[in-house]
Amino acid sequence: MNLLRSTLHWTAQLAALLLVSFVVAAAQTPTHTPPAPSRINKGTSAPASYPPALVQSGSALFRRDCSFCHGRDAGGGESGPDLTRSRLVTEDVGGNKIGPVVRNGRPDKGMPRFDFSDQEIAGLAAFIHTQLNNAGHAKIGGRKGVDASDLQTGNAEAGRQYFNGAGGCATCHSPDGDLAGIASRYQGLQLEERMLYPKHVKPKVTVTMTSGEIIIGTLDYLDEFTVGLIDPTGVYRSWRTSDVQYKVDPGLNAHVELFSKYTDADIHNLMAYLQTLRQAPGSAPAP
Amino acid sequence: MNFLKAAFLFAASALIAITPRGLMLAQSAAEQVGPVPAAREQGADSQMLLHPPADSWPGYHGDYSGRRHTSLTRITPQNVKNLTLAWAFQTDQLSAIKSSPLLVNGILYFTVPENIWAVDARSGHQIWHYTNPRSEGEHIGHRGVAMYDGYLFFLTPDAHLISLNAKDATVRWKIEVADATKGYWTSMAPLVVGNHVLIGVSGDFDNLSGYLRAIDPETGATQWQWNSTPPVGTPGQTTGGMTWMTGTYDPDLNLVYWGTGNPTPVLNGSTRPGDDLYTCTIVALNPDTGKLAWAFQVSPHDTHDWDAAETPVLVDGDFHGEPKKMLMQSSRNGYFFVLDRTNGKNLLTAPFGPVNWTLGIDEQGRPIPNPAKEPAPDGHLIAPDEGGMTNYRSPSFDTKNGLFIVDAHPSWSIYFAKPADGVYGWAGADYGVWGKGVIEAIDYQTGKIRWSHELGPQGSGAGVLTTDSGITFTGDAMGNFLALDSITGKTLWHAGSGSQIVSSPISYELDGQQYVLTSSGGVLFAWALP
Repeated sequence: MNLLRSTLHWTAQLAALLLVSFVVAAAQTPTHTPPAPSRINKGTSAPASYPPALVQSGSALFRRDCSFCHGRDAGGGESGPDLTRSRLVTEDVGGNKIGPVVRNGRPDKGMPRFDFSDQEIAGLAAFIHTQLNNAGHAKIGGRKGVDASDLQTGNAEAGRQYFNGAGGCATCHSPDGDLAGIASRYQGLQLEERMLYPKHVKPKVTVTMTSGEIIIGTLDYLDEFTVGLIDPTGVYRSWRTSDVQYKVDPGLNAHVELFSKYTDADIHNLMAYLQTLRQAPGSAPAP
Repeated sequence: MNFLKAAFLFAASALIAITPRGLMLAQSAAEQVGPVPAAREQGADSQMLLHPPADSWPGYHGDYSGRRHTSLTRITPQNVKNLTLAWAFQTDQLSAIKSSPLLVNGILYFTVPENIWAVDARSGHQIWHYTNPRSEGEHIGHRGVAMYDGYLFFLTPDAHLISLNAKDATVRWKIEVADATKGYWTSMAPLVVGNHVLIGVSGDFDNLSGYLRAIDPETGATQWQWNSTPPVGTPGQTTGGMTWMTGTYDPDLNLVYWGTGNPTPVLNGSTRPGDDLYTCTIVALNPDTGKLAWAFQVSPHDTHDWDAAETPVLVDGDFHGEPKKMLMQSSRNGYFFVLDRTNGKNLLTAPFGPVNWTLGIDEQGRPIPNPAKEPAPDGHLIAPDEGGMTNYRSPSFDTKNGLFIVDAHPSWSIYFAKPADGVYGWAGADYGVWGKGVIEAIDYQTGKIRWSHELGPQGSGAGVLTTDSGITFTGDAMGNFLALDSITGKTLWHAGSGSQIVSSPISYELDGQQYVLTSSGGVLFAWALP
């Protein structure tokens, strides 16, 4: 109990530090920072010191219930993201962000919920934050990570040509429009994953009722039997698929169609090109 | 406890009174000299395992064939629209049910890690609940128990095998089957063949040897062990080849068939040049000796975690005009294989979704891995993803229509490995980019997909059960249980379950009523006609 209390006290201090650090990071001034958000920053990070017993308890719990999907070192796996490069984790303070995700799960992404106590959450958070600091070390056995520096083998000019030519990317995207400054918003693996398939983008759907009324909204749910959308006023509405006609915007299919056409060089080149699409220094951040 | 015991005795005596098999058991018991071992009333003897009656599901796959096809026909394509909930059982656990229940003498036995339930198959009420003290080791899932002569066999995350009395869950013995401190864990449902309890092991995050072990059901003593890979530390040799899924058995040939797991290090093959036998391999073993009869490697020199653990389905039938004893596997690497199970010779190799990692098929019928599609420092785009074109969820062979029906997962991913990732355990990283679920009905003689049924984005974890009446039971990516027409793939019935489905259906008949059992999340659902 004392351990927990001291941890909570400690995390409150960390919260204040983190707030400062985001401001500092935005200003890109090298300074003392708490847990580094990724391996990229490891040179400037000072290791956070969590009570070893707490980290140990979190490590045991993590290994038992989390490691299969997130990797033994929290470095991620096929079905669970790399937590050492997770924005949610970098914003977490003593489990305040990690806890709710663990306890509620993410049913839409296949993550089960876990009924962990406050102490267990504190231990998990301590372990994960410690891994964040250790992320530069070669960890035995577990799944590994990918650094932005690994993804620099392509040719940006060839990528630009692919973007405007064979890839057909320019049909929907523009370096001055939706992709302006994209490389400032996403880096490394995150950028590459979004480039290959933007998983979190919800397409538009058009529903036509028998009355002829048409509703266009953001697709929220679809199976064989039910179609649900968020309408322009923010309200969720659904229908039996047998009662209406619906059409999902096919834009995302273009990403799927490219999979069987890409060479690995195409992907590396395209990645190199996208990484040139940085926000001009001093310009306003993109929405 | 007294109440429980009384209830149990009542149930047991009721069974003996009303079921033909109960009568048979009572007769054979009466013929025995001396006191009858009480445990035998609980059944699952060798005869039941060889010829499961309609009111039983005594092993993980039901029968030994792995076909997950029932001869029951009360539920038909015409009346299945009336299917309704008979009962639901809430485990009140957060772990999803991945196990296939056993049904023996009217009682269902199923699991999640560290937990077994015995539940009345008629009413869904709990008879007992066994909880193992929470142990170390991976708690990723649990596939179920095995049963033999009234005793259950249950593997734990810390790699122990427990034998319990099926009546009341009292522990007869508990043995260690692998060293959890080295990184082994266990999750599979053992396979009972004769007086052998066959168990397999898991462990992908360390360089460990895989093995299959036969254990004496009475004593827990090891009868034999077959190692899938050489001892750890053998220069230039692979480790891995875990045995984490339940195999199948042909009593006539007296061979068990088992799929082995991927080699380790997982994504980096540099320290294990060559084919890496016997990883990603279907093996045929003598169940009495553990001696290898033949081996067919479905993924030579795997670097993508595509084990060949998926069910080896045994089918007797015509292949291109000749009667054959066949073995079929829809493998995680994206290929569907048909083998002659008498000798392991390949009859057919055909992809059942997008695959981009091979240079072709060799003269033995094995895919030839493309070195340019191994994981790389800057990433390679690979189909399918690490979860594979399918996985532990069961396929079904529809004997009526000659279709191999599988929950497939067309998918793409990026695989990375660099020297800094080392040569121990995972040794790289991979990320699924996109995938979907689709039920595919494969013509086993050609590999052509006769019909397909979309299941939704990312994919479904539901296995498949087919019936003689022409229904395919499965589930979609959103948690709907589905009954499809086995000839056309069209939906005949559905029910939203409220959670992800990560198990395979079973079916049985009790009191003249056919039940279909499905599960999603931590809930088991029994469906029947009104």
